[in-house]
Amino acid sequence: MILSEAETQDITKKVLALSKAESCTVSMSGFENRHVRFAQNMATTNGSPSGIEISVESHFGKRSGSATGTDLSDDALAALVASSEKTARLAPENPEFMPPIGPQKYAAGTGFSSATESVTSDALAGAIQPVLEQAQAKNLQASGFLQTGQSFSSFATSLGLFVYDQRTDVLHTITARTPDGTGSSWAGTTHYDFSKLDVAAMGGVAIDQAVRSQKPVALPPGKYTVILEPSAVSDLIGIMIGDEFDQRSADEGRNFATKKGGGSLLGENVFGKNVTIYSDPNDPIVPGAIYSTDGQSAEKTMWIENGILKNLQCGRYWAKKTGIQPVPAPTTLTMTGGTTSTADMIKQTKRGLLITRFWYIREVDPQTVLLTGLTRDGVFLIEHGAITKPVHNFRFNESPVAMLNKVIALGPSVRTYGEEVSDFPLCVPTILVDGFTLSSVSDAV
Amino acid sequence: MDVADRLDLKDKLRLADQVLNLAKAQGASYADFRLCRYQTEYLEAREHRLEESSTGVSAGFAVRVLLDGTWGYASSPLATEDEAKRATLRAVEVARASQRLQLRKFVLEDVAAYQDKWQMPMKVDPFLVPTDEKIGKLLTINEAALKAGADYATAAFAFVREEKFFASSHGSRIEQTRVRIMPETEVTAIDKATGKFATRSGLAAPRGSGYDYIQGYDFVGEAAKAAGQAREKLRAKPIDPGSYDLVLDPTHLWLTIHESVGHPTELDRALGWEANFAGTTFVTPDKLGKLKYGSSLMNIVADRSQEGGLSTVGYDDDGVRSLGAEFPIIKDGIFVNYQMAIGQAQLIGQKMSNGCAFADSWSAFPIQRMPNVSLQPNPKTCSLDNLFADVKRGIYIVGNGSWSIDQQRHNFQFGGQLFYEIKNGKLGGMLRDVAYQGSTTEFWNSMDGIGDQSTYFLGGAPNCGKGQPEQSAPVSHGAVPARFRKVNVLNTERKDVA
Repeated sequence: MILSEAETQDITKKVLALSKAESCTVSMSGFENRHVRFAQNMATTNGSPSGIEISVESHFGKRSGSATGTDLSDDALAALVASSEKTARLAPENPEFMPPIGPQKYAAGTGFSSATESVTSDALAGAIQPVLEQAQAKNLQASGFLQTGQSFSSFATSLGLFVYDQRTDVLHTITARTPDGTGSSWAGTTHYDFSKLDVAAMGGVAIDQAVRSQKPVALPPGKYTVILEPSAVSDLIGIMIGDEFDQRSADEGRNFATKKGGGSLLGENVFGKNVTIYSDPNDPIVPGAIYSTDGQSAEKTMWIENGILKNLQCGRYWAKKTGIQPVPAPTTLTMTGGTTSTADMIKQTKRGLLITRFWYIREVDPQTVLLTGLTRDGVFLIEHGAITKPVHNFRFNESPVAMLNKVIALGPSVRTYGEEVSDFPLCVPTILVDGFTLSSVSDAV
Repeated sequence: MDVADRLDLKDKLRLADQVLNLAKAQGASYADFRLCRYQTEYLEAREHRLEESSTGVSAGFAVRVLLDGTWGYASSPLATEDEAKRATLRAVEVARASQRLQLRKFVLEDVAAYQDKWQMPMKVDPFLVPTDEKIGKLLTINEAALKAGADYATAAFAFVREEKFFASSHGSRIEQTRVRIMPETEVTAIDKATGKFATRSGLAAPRGSGYDYIQGYDFVGEAAKAAGQAREKLRAKPIDPGSYDLVLDPTHLWLTIHESVGHPTELDRALGWEANFAGTTFVTPDKLGKLKYGSSLMNIVADRSQEGGLSTVGYDDDGVRSLGAEFPIIKDGIFVNYQMAIGQAQLIGQKMSNGCAFADSWSAFPIQRMPNVSLQPNPKTCSLDNLFADVKRGIYIVGNGSWSIDQQRHNFQFGGQLFYEIKNGKLGGMLRDVAYQGSTTEFWNSMDGIGDQSTYFLGGAPNCGKGQPEQSAPVSHGAVPARFRKVNVLNTERKDVA
């Protein structure tokens, strides 16, 4: 369910007028999506879900409570405000309470496309049909998901802040498998503009690679030179920045960025000099939401610059306590790319592996951001500068902190999609990495 | 008062009739209507302060139609006649648009019609317990941890009341209500001199229970113990990697069951329907009734009736009666049954779904999800000490750490919360940096000892992911301690990160 800025503001004003709290915040969000889901070259669970949500957080002194609902009727809004106030009154004082902020300046959002907004289910089915026909013609089984949607969100405070953001999103992922179960490949990405997404080309990538991935050979586990394609890179980078780049936990001694003896590694060379990662809500490739935590404006933020740890996410309370500026959570993420093409990376590799994407990544040790997971849907052996054969999947045990000290070359940065990070869009390069730890073999295809 | 509150049964029945009649008039061979309401409360405390206190209600409905063998569905948060009409027509439009992609038509079994009301038995409704009492409990838990030497402590309770009204064109009209409780605690110990830290998460499982579960669990005692154990981890002996016998506590083993037995035996995965996301499975239909999944001690049963089970419910979200319809998945080590939703059984030569459909919200399409999937206890007497007794060089693992398994559910790696050395049949000191890797059938066939009924523990996950759009399902797994031989164990410490 999509509400316009004016409709959202009207409801917000109603809620603020109902509030008896010393201060409060009101946030709203809604979406309308359409998707086709397919497997074995045919449609499965196709749909058009829609939703809406409104939250009120009320404050009395340093006591806070919130209530969330999906009903926008006057009675329901009054009940919602009353519920948040009741909850707040029952809460003990929080010495770390930070009052809501006043009006902020925001950049104009750039993540909305009318081409995406107007996509019909017929258009989605029409876009994917040639891909399924191509898969069938090549005796492959295609499965995937093509979704378009629009969404809005707003945030307001009793101190006069109101911000409204509207976005469109497209998600397209496709897996092509051989009927004998010995070959599998994948392609996928996100976009905000459906007209710029080449569904057929994406399908073609998966279909071509599926044929080449058949009957993989087994190699022993060990440390390998690897070329990680963008989806694989996005998962590792997204988990590290999204979950582990936290100033408070670093200062408290429980983070990879904790310095021995106290304090954080901020300002130090923690990564290789060829690594730069930042967030820019106005990035032309991956525009992000215009506001972040507590309604703070989403600003361009450098996380890693030429290998130096530049910023960690930092909440308003901890920033005030430690005398630094708050650093809101990222709403988009870009890793600066290079100029080495994947073909050139392959040419310069004596022996290594080309890896399409990862699966089921979990943190093993937060101290070192050691992650485990598996390769999936396409691993290829490179020998003397050329791809020679498909290889079985591996389990990896590797830390992105260690990995980003061993990057040999970077390709151009592109918009991509990984299964593990859905909070913000990512734009990352293919990278050539030395000494990547593959700890066991998986015979899953 | 919210949208679902305002609707009594008569209103729900009227809306259902409107939707189902319209779907039929539009040519649907099958349709269903689910109107759901989820009431939630979340409380989180860090050290001596409350970080979050929130309540919520999410209500809405979904319409699902099968039109000439093609599915379409639509949902809405507005349970009005106009919106019910819009959503029904949208579901029909989606199905019609997708028909060009329907190589094979979906055919549904003839599910029996039920008029019923099912309510989870519960002693103390968590939503009737005063909020300040619950907050007080959380702060007391943290206080105990800090007093026992933890540097940091967090404790949280999440409560959900799920109310579902289901109506289908088969004639079912079913109302169901259940409650879930999800406690989470964690303590952290820091060693500033070395820059090292260690955590210990609580072992209390999420349950389909009333607040009496919280009242009956010794969170305070566990928090104090956990603080000492987190500190002990900092000076524990690092594991020498290699081959070990493992005794897995049920607070750990439930998750291994979930990943390596629950997921591989889902029929939609075997049919390739999850190939693009959750994955397929090595348990292909030709293995039904034949695959020696594990040792003869291995008996895995699926149920919807276990007390406290997160999947315990009277009917699944396809309207198939599931209460009291237990079935074995692994019998004496042999794979004997898949978990199924409607439209699947005929594809493997069977007649009827066994009631394993679930939709995680009012806006989601019901897909095949796990019932409670549990390892049955040893009928002969066997204690934890009995399992240790026959181990020369082993590790006892308690609680869940990291977990990961491949997309066909073969290669896995699991960590834990606590690791103890077993030497010559005796439990020894604490170990650290332990994770084990294995391959599903090899691992389960190496199981040569399991605990009896007195050692049974019901674990579970509140948020198992599957499907596109992704859905998060709650599921419980009963387990007993079990012994596995010659398992590959890693040391997970990395020395190349500062």
